[in-house]
Amino acid sequence: MLFFSFFKTLIDHEVTVELKNDIQIRGTLKSVDQYLNIKLDDIHVVEEIKYPHLSSVKNVFIRGSVVRYVHLPAAAVDVPLLEDATRREAANQAGKGK
Amino acid sequence: MGSTGHNQSAPGFSQAYDPFADLRGNHDSIDEALDFEDTYDGLGDQLDETDDIFNDDTFGDMTATGGGAVGKDFDFFGATAKITNAMEEEHQRFSLQQQTSRTARPYVAQDYNSGYAYQPPPPASKPARTGYEKYKEEPTELEIDASIWGVAPKKAATPAAVVQPPPTGRKMMSLEEVEAAMRAEAKQTPPVSLTPQFQSQTQYHTGEFQIPVDQPNFYPRQEQLDPIRQPVDGRHQRGFQTSDYQQPIAQGITHGHPITILQRPSRHAPSTTGPAIPSPISQQQQTPPIAPTQILQNPSRVSAEGSRAGVPMHPAQKSQNATPRNIQPHQLSDLSEREKAAIVEAEVRRAKRNHKIHLMSGNNGLMTPQDKSFITRIQLQQLVSATGDPSEQGNEAALAEDFYYQVLSSLRAGQRPNPNQPLNNFAQTYLFQTGTRRGGTRHHGPQNHVQRMEQQVQRAVEAAKNKPKNKQLVIEGSLGKISFSNAKTPKPLLNIKRTDNGADTTRPGSSQRAQPTSKGHDKKDTLRDIENVYLTLMKMEDLSRSMPPPNGPTDQDIAEKQDEFNKLNEQLWNHLRVHEPISSTTVHPFISFMSYPKGKRAIPRVFRYLSHTQRTTILTMIVIHLDQLDVVRGAQVQTGGAHLPRCCYSRAVATFNIFFNILEPTLHNIFPGTVASGEDIYVWQFLAAIGIGASPDEQQRLVFAVKDRVMGTVGLAKTLPPDMAKGRLDNVNLFMRSIGLDVELLN
Repeated sequence: MLFFSFFKTLIDHEVTVELKNDIQIRGTLKSVDQYLNIKLDDIHVVEEIKYPHLSSVKNVFIRGSVVRYVHLPAAAVDVPLLEDATRREAANQAGKGK
Repeated sequence: MGSTGHNQSAPGFSQAYDPFADLRGNHDSIDEALDFEDTYDGLGDQLDETDDIFNDDTFGDMTATGGGAVGKDFDFFGATAKITNAMEEEHQRFSLQQQTSRTARPYVAQDYNSGYAYQPPPPASKPARTGYEKYKEEPTELEIDASIWGVAPKKAATPAAVVQPPPTGRKMMSLEEVEAAMRAEAKQTPPVSLTPQFQSQTQYHTGEFQIPVDQPNFYPRQEQLDPIRQPVDGRHQRGFQTSDYQQPIAQGITHGHPITILQRPSRHAPSTTGPAIPSPISQQQQTPPIAPTQILQNPSRVSAEGSRAGVPMHPAQKSQNATPRNIQPHQLSDLSEREKAAIVEAEVRRAKRNHKIHLMSGNNGLMTPQDKSFITRIQLQQLVSATGDPSEQGNEAALAEDFYYQVLSSLRAGQRPNPNQPLNNFAQTYLFQTGTRRGGTRHHGPQNHVQRMEQQVQRAVEAAKNKPKNKQLVIEGSLGKISFSNAKTPKPLLNIKRTDNGADTTRPGSSQRAQPTSKGHDKKDTLRDIENVYLTLMKMEDLSRSMPPPNGPTDQDIAEKQDEFNKLNEQLWNHLRVHEPISSTTVHPFISFMSYPKGKRAIPRVFRYLSHTQRTTILTMIVIHLDQLDVVRGAQVQTGGAHLPRCCYSRAVATFNIFFNILEPTLHNIFPGTVASGEDIYVWQFLAAIGIGASPDEQQRLVFAVKDRVMGTVGLAKTLPPDMAKGRLDNVNLFMRSIGLDVELLN
């Protein structure tokens, strides 16, 4: 649940979601769920010339499985805390594996 | 509108519809104009209208149909009917031009549609919504029916216009009455007999004088056509042969009729009783002989043919056509059946609906509030297990699951210094989103219920927590197991049991490094130490978060936690490796620990959970190995005019000032030994370094602090041999020159 937990903190921040079909969509993260499905508002496509069919789209729901990367706003990430959270996650997983 | 209650003698909807009811009596009323009051049974007044609000749902918006807007259902034919009306009128006008004696003329199609035959009995006239408003438009259905019977819409207009029975002064006859009228008429005037058989026969005899000019052509052509017809539809052969020559007249339908025959041959089978020899009249009246083939091939042409054929019709025939074909018995019964079917269908729908409502209302109050909350609890419990609510594993686990979000949001909110505090109410915040808002209105009834619900949910969550997780279901008698999964704990595809608790030592790779002390610490060991330090740190942080307030009543709790805390502290200390012996050959583990950025970052956090002694030990370790620390070793002297950015420079200055202020009071004691003992070159070097960075003010303070030593050394130098004196003075000069002075100036 680390990623879910992490992305929840990015809600209302602007992120760029890079899809597995190379489309990059920039928009405000409105919602994320446990499958890392993503809802973006006020979107625009990074290469709009290349993907004109998305010009008129204002918000999207992205299925988590089609996401390749999410570009994060660095200022919104607490790195030491994220490190700790990662450690906890790892410890959790190790604990479950036993 | 009389509200006289139900006229017991009048048929109501609930009664079976008897189209022949009027034949049993009351024929005397046929000649009278019918009054609505007579036919209205008042049934509508007894209708239960309590559920009328659903009528729109059930029957579509009736107001819309009246206003011309297109409703959801049926209405497409309503629109068709309008066009049909226009066509009827048009045709009426046309036939009127062709004939002189026309009795039915006054009845335009609209009259026919609005009030005439097939209007269902009284309920249709009820102004209040009864659900049967549609049947006011019954005539439109009639038109549809006509086309079903194979009469093209245009042609249907002709008989429709002709339908008007002799008593033209009437209005608003019921179906039965019209039917009765027809029957009575049929009795009086044989040519207008009701049954096709009769009609055709009489027609055959009486209408013989009508010999069309082109009659000679008929037979040969007809004969020719027969072979063509046969292969096309052999089944209909008989019907064709008989009806071709008899039926059309009988039915008063002219040209479209062959289609009827084609479609419904069985219907006309009885008509074989008539003469098999084609009558000239019948042929003349029906479509020209070519018509059947055309019908077979191209039905649409029939109507065109028909309208043309209608032209030479004799007035007498027209008057015969006046026999309303729509009211012929078999069609009548058909129509009324359809009508009945429609009514019954509507009735059934309504009944179904009422029944459903009744059933539902019958179940009203069946579930007690306890039952309802029980159901809700089950649902919530499922929700909890399905979504894997973190509270199911307790707050600590919840914190572990959602650590980043919880801590970061509490950090950002700033108002929750203790991240654990909101987690205690995890169920509420997640399931109800009520938070503190519910506090004020707690005393109201529904709110009280909500509160109870919350408690139930909490209990449910608690139960789910305590219940051992059954991850597999073994159905009795089955060979396999069904394993469950949810989003949090996916169904494990591989189930590998670890044989050992030690995560590291079980791995083959790490077993080789099981003796770190002999080999010294390698990189991986150091990194593992760092991670262990962090893990221990987090445990301690969790512990301190859950630490009850110092003056709390649970002293025992505090003691336990303190014990645990001490144990963790010991772990932390071990992982830091500070205690390991200092060896001259290898880098001390703690120093390698410090050589990683995350190791360095850990130190401030570590310090918070260490005792004073431990802190001192660590500082001692750092000082001893100062030269090995990468920050010291890798530090580069800024040569020449290194241009630091302005902000960096000012920060450096500020840092230096702090450092100088800390250093200043100790400057008096900085020199080892006395002036005479010497061995103070390091101190002078250090002072020189300080002097270079010092501001003029600080330089002055510096000089003041070490003035005695400087003067003492200069004085001593005079007593020493020149070589030694020069050496001592040079040392002093290291410092003096750094602040722009020289020992020469002192002399």
